[in-house]
Amino acid sequence: MARAKQPLHARDKLAFLLSLVPYLMDHDRVSVQTVADHFGVDAELIRESVRLIAISGIPGETAAYQHDDLFDIAWDDFEDNDQIVLTNMVAIDESPRFSGREAAALIAGLQYLSALPETVDRAALATLMAKLARGASALPTQVAVETAEADATLELVREAVEEERQLQFDYLNSRGELESRRVDPLRVESVDADWYLRGWCHLREAVRTFRIDRIGNPVLTDERISFHAGEVTLPDTLFEGSADDLSVTIDISPAALPLISDYIPAGAKLVPSGDALRTSIRVSHYHGLKRLVAGLPGMVTVVEPEEARQVVADWAAAALARYND
Amino acid sequence: MAAPVRVPVEERLFSLVLALLATENGLTKSEILSTVQGYRQRYKTSGDNANLERQFERDKDDIRELGVPLETIQPPGEAVNNQSLRYRIPRGDYELPRDITFSAEETALLGLAGMVWREGTMSTESRRALIKLRALGIEADEPVLAYAPRLRVRDASFEPLNNALERNQVVRFSYLKPGQSEATVREVAPVALFQYQGRWHCSAIEPDTGARKSFLLRRIVSDIAPTGATFPPRDADEGEIALREIEEIWNANTARIRVEPHSDAAMRLRKRRGTREGADNGELLLQFADANLLAEELASYGPEVLVLEPDQLRQAHRSRLAAVLAAHTETEAAHG
Repeated sequence: MARAKQPLHARDKLAFLLSLVPYLMDHDRVSVQTVADHFGVDAELIRESVRLIAISGIPGETAAYQHDDLFDIAWDDFEDNDQIVLTNMVAIDESPRFSGREAAALIAGLQYLSALPETVDRAALATLMAKLARGASALPTQVAVETAEADATLELVREAVEEERQLQFDYLNSRGELESRRVDPLRVESVDADWYLRGWCHLREAVRTFRIDRIGNPVLTDERISFHAGEVTLPDTLFEGSADDLSVTIDISPAALPLISDYIPAGAKLVPSGDALRTSIRVSHYHGLKRLVAGLPGMVTVVEPEEARQVVADWAAAALARYND
Repeated sequence: MAAPVRVPVEERLFSLVLALLATENGLTKSEILSTVQGYRQRYKTSGDNANLERQFERDKDDIRELGVPLETIQPPGEAVNNQSLRYRIPRGDYELPRDITFSAEETALLGLAGMVWREGTMSTESRRALIKLRALGIEADEPVLAYAPRLRVRDASFEPLNNALERNQVVRFSYLKPGQSEATVREVAPVALFQYQGRWHCSAIEPDTGARKSFLLRRIVSDIAPTGATFPPRDADEGEIALREIEEIWNANTARIRVEPHSDAAMRLRKRRGTREGADNGELLLQFADANLLAEELASYGPEVLVLEPDQLRQAHRSRLAAVLAAHTETEAAHG
């Protein structure tokens, strides 16, 4: 039977109310803005929630929601000074537990972060995960992520930021060219098993994205960095399109679609083509394309342009030729 | 009486939680519907409250979804029937134990862990978990280095498998085993979802044999259909067991390959987890869990990689490359 779904936001609002009350109980007097900053939400949501809390309570002995059975606030402070002071409290004493799924999401997230310099203390990490599990109202659902070893390059990147010194390394770009780069690290990003450094590149005098596993011989220089994180606006997407990008038509098996979604420009059409889907992707050059397509054998085929097909064919043929030598 | 006031959904849910937390012995359904804010306005003292009862059922689900332990009790001595059932939220199971506290450093790390999920229900769950964490009032340490970590959950089967494993449901799906061309139908009890080498897997038990199997989510080629059967909940750390098992396979399988010096393969495969230098210059020893998956990974490097052994991997690598070559040398007409 179809279930008329309540809008999701009511559930989220409830979680928020149940969290806001114990926070307010711990703070005798607090400004709306302080609470908004702490929870990372709009001040108006705080005001709305406080108004709701202030008129809520329990039915009580008389089942009539008498004054003593309701929360109350210092209304003048609230209306005139935007300050929250709880003057009567009911039913709630403490913060709520995590649900099994909520705890599982954070535990799996922590496992994923095990390559970061921040998580090198494995015993502390295990303690933290155990606390989450114990703080859940049900057994955390089983979602797990392979724990990675601490990454030496990331450790050095962190040191560079801490000491405000430029990082120098050999970088092999996807065209296969090796260059020495000096970089002000701005942000470390990742997508699944792939880690990237975004930074100000002094060679290119622009923000560039570097794959951590293509960085060789990283060292800290004595040069001060020119830019800190926050001084440079980084695009939200890791892979930005450029006007010079090449458009390539491909056939892709539907199951492989998520694997290349970063390359499909917004608004691209997907047209059935036999068992596959025909669409277009954008790549900065064919060197990257041949690696992408060869790594998805039987799942992606370049349709056009002919030159792109040829580059992929040559790449595979050269690899096969090594077996026939 | 004036026209009933419209009570917002969150006010009704909040009032229900407050009422059930405040009661020791529990409230009956009719007590709830007739007295709790949001229900009482619509309650008919003598009449049909079927709509309101359905509303209550949905609200219970929503509240439980948040991890609130809303329980049903049957008072001893009373006749077993729907009217005498009592509902309550036991305080001890609801409240975060007082001795669970988080340092500023831990809070910062949990903030990052929550940020990892950007899509689907995992993102909803972690966002809610972080709201609850903030209830404790701890200010997080500002991390030295800015991070934007992300785990993708793009496989269509992830959400339905996650639901099935939470509800202990046996499911059926078609699976295209790596290296095979025909999908087969599988009926299994999913016990964990895990990401290994950047790929999502499902660990599942075959109900007939009790054998544990791992499935690559990317290779599931049908919808996930619950069969209607359920299986007893398992209290072991199934995710950890699954990871340990695949790790054993990973450790037991070594490939010997040759890489072109100064190539992308030489650089990146050396940084791959567990890689060691081989006996000859330019030879690398790689660990792997699945020869077919490694063959695909190596195929992307084209002529920068030559597989020496094992032979199964060598053949798999060659056949992948041959498939790529064939697909890109056929004429357009041959696609037909």
